[in-house]
Amino acid sequence: MDANNALVGAESSSATDVDDRVRRRPTLTHMIRSELLALIVVLLGLGLFFTLSSPFFLSWNNWLNILSAVAVTGIVAAPATMLLIAGQFDLSVGAGAAFVGAVLAVTLESNGLAASLALAIAAGLALGLLNGLLVSVVRVNALIATLGTLAIFRGFTRLITDGQNVRLDGFSWLGTSRLPFRVPVAVAIFAGVMLLFGFIGRSTVFGRRIYAVGSNPVAARLSGIKPERVVFSGFLISAACVTLSGLILVSQLGAASPNAATGLEFAVITAVVLGGTTLAGGKGTILGTLLGLLIIAVLNNGLTLLNISSFWQEVARGTLLILAVSLDQIRRRLSNK
Amino acid sequence: MARGIRLEATGLSKSFGRIQVLRDVDLSVEGGEVLALLGENGAGKSTLVKAIVGDHQPDRGVMKIDGDSVRIASPAIAQALGIRMIFQELNDAPTLSVEENISLGTWPSRWGLVRRSEMRTRAVSILSELGVELDVESLVGTLRVGERQIVEIARALTTSVRCLVLDEPTAALSDGEAERLFEFIERLRERGVAIIYITHRLDEVFRVADRVQVLRDGVVALDGATKDLSRQALIEAMVGRTLDEGARSAGRRANDSQVATLRLGNATLGGTFSDVNLEVHRGEIVALYGKVGSGSAEVAETAFGVHRLDSGELWINGCESKFRSPSDALASGVGFLPADRQREALFWVRSVAENLCAPSWGRLARAGMFLSPRAEGRTYREWHGPLGVRSLGDPGQAISTLSGGNQQKVLLGRWLERRCDLLVLLEPTRGVDVGARQELYRLLRDLACAGTAVIVSTSDPEEVVFLADRAFVIARGTLVAEFASDELTMDRLAEAAGLVAGAA
Repeated sequence: MDANNALVGAESSSATDVDDRVRRRPTLTHMIRSELLALIVVLLGLGLFFTLSSPFFLSWNNWLNILSAVAVTGIVAAPATMLLIAGQFDLSVGAGAAFVGAVLAVTLESNGLAASLALAIAAGLALGLLNGLLVSVVRVNALIATLGTLAIFRGFTRLITDGQNVRLDGFSWLGTSRLPFRVPVAVAIFAGVMLLFGFIGRSTVFGRRIYAVGSNPVAARLSGIKPERVVFSGFLISAACVTLSGLILVSQLGAASPNAATGLEFAVITAVVLGGTTLAGGKGTILGTLLGLLIIAVLNNGLTLLNISSFWQEVARGTLLILAVSLDQIRRRLSNK
Repeated sequence: MARGIRLEATGLSKSFGRIQVLRDVDLSVEGGEVLALLGENGAGKSTLVKAIVGDHQPDRGVMKIDGDSVRIASPAIAQALGIRMIFQELNDAPTLSVEENISLGTWPSRWGLVRRSEMRTRAVSILSELGVELDVESLVGTLRVGERQIVEIARALTTSVRCLVLDEPTAALSDGEAERLFEFIERLRERGVAIIYITHRLDEVFRVADRVQVLRDGVVALDGATKDLSRQALIEAMVGRTLDEGARSAGRRANDSQVATLRLGNATLGGTFSDVNLEVHRGEIVALYGKVGSGSAEVAETAFGVHRLDSGELWINGCESKFRSPSDALASGVGFLPADRQREALFWVRSVAENLCAPSWGRLARAGMFLSPRAEGRTYREWHGPLGVRSLGDPGQAISTLSGGNQQKVLLGRWLERRCDLLVLLEPTRGVDVGARQELYRLLRDLACAGTAVIVSTSDPEEVVFLADRAFVIARGTLVAEFASDELTMDRLAEAAGLVAGAA
């Protein structure tokens, strides 16, 4: 299909135009579409397999389970996709979510809901400010900066909870209540976040700037974009979503755990990379991340339905990630030949 | 050093998919001969030399070395046969020092331990042979592009080379450096090395080559001894049509006495340039001619806020400006096209439309925030024709799939769409073929006629003569001469830059 396009293009142009025919490569939109198509095929394949092997898989309740399972990860994965497109990581998401929940639980009894919610949100934004300052003002590498804040905030979480679970009452609505069709609030929020970030990436100037900064920060600067500002905003937005997910998590569990959301950063990066966002920056889509999330969730859910140990689920998830990225590399090498 | 290599390729053909890139191409070169390979981008030059250095396998055709058939299946085999290629893009290790780069992969060692002293002697002797003064301990990443290229050539020369392929080696070199390279090529020729020299620049063909072969659309359009050929003949063979290269652009105009769009007053940037005074007015194209390292690039960059002056004044449209960042300069109506397209200007993995629109996003967007891909595509389609971009015409096409000249057209379009009062360009036609070069000059002239002030920093005297209404010559950070368009000749420029009196 792509070759045909290239030929049509060449015929209509002049004779000195060999170059574009020689380097006939698919257009950007084609490339992105073919990547997404591959993900959709994998997702449908898994779905088909589990539908045939378990009668419960296709039920509405099971799908609500699947979506509930990815809601918290997904709310964080959306801004993480944006950050990775801009060439940045945020490893502190899990620690941040746990800290936000702990602040809420610890302060709730003595301060009342409104004040402790404000404190929890302030805690989340503090994390975003710190990450943003470190990366875009002090210019610490994002991987290192957020590895540091991960440790700091996990430590703070354990300090203020004294290493114990802290129960909280009267904050279950966000995590447990249901909308029509028994859709959990968290799932609706997840859907909203995905739509919002999809829109930001595709149809806003800020989204364009994210892609530009990730693709070539120098060129972005010389085009009048301020890369530091874009990256700073990215970390703030990430922290806002981390705050949201932390609140949902603590509300779902009814308690703040010092070890809550451990490993969230890995789940997020797995989904984002599986969804086709490149570590080199400049490329990626929210739709891809959504597919990545669903593939992992369907895999976990299906293996659970088949009574396969959750330890195997981890193995399967890791294998899938490596397989997806390796295949992508191989495909790229072939198409560059 | 091995003498008298004779390399012959006959009937080389190569297709990519259904597209034939080389058709029955013959090429021969022997030791002690410099063969210039000339052709527009896409004419098949790179495919041809890549077949010779083992990067591509030809579909048909025979390669012979000293009369024996060989099959060069990989670059390693080519190297073993003494064939080396210097690529146009830098292939160095920026975090290592000059001496380490020169010995990269061929470290002088004993029992697996690198002998640093020998590595240093090797680097020093090769560089002095090239006539280059470089600190062998400095990191390659801190050098200018021209210097890095020299380090790469020096690296190739550490192995015994019988045939050297050079892909536009002077694209990033100053005239002085280029002249030194030519002298070095002559020395290699005397020692019996066969040299294949790819270039766009006609002057260089006459300067270095014994024979010239012109490729067009994958076939040999012309092959002959340089001394029997005229510039005109080469140009016609390259572009396949007659082109009046010497035609002066219409629309040159005298300055009117209105406020200068750009004025530098006693501008000084420590160690780079000092006391620079110049004005650029609406509607004129002013060239800053200087060798690499002369300060001409930095003077131009200052107008865009890349550097901040240590002393002196920068006035834009009659307002004194102290730009803190490029985005301040943009807000004052200044646009900028840097010299290194791929590193500083292109969003390589993004679409042509995004690359064209980037500085204009804020204006194109509704409420300054919302911008649909469709609106961007519309803008690209508007410019596609006027810019003469040869592409699929799809706004989603990745910019990396265009040729250098067409990428540059899109980048120029970036500033046409942005509509600036002053456009600053560095080396605007570096690595751009003759045909596209003419189109870029035409676009710049149209832009000036529409009232934009254009300032071009360049190290190519041909470009100055062809393009400029006025030209300043910069040497060692000071303006040494100013020429009006009717006084401009390449000889005068070279003389003013101090190149004639034995390269400073």
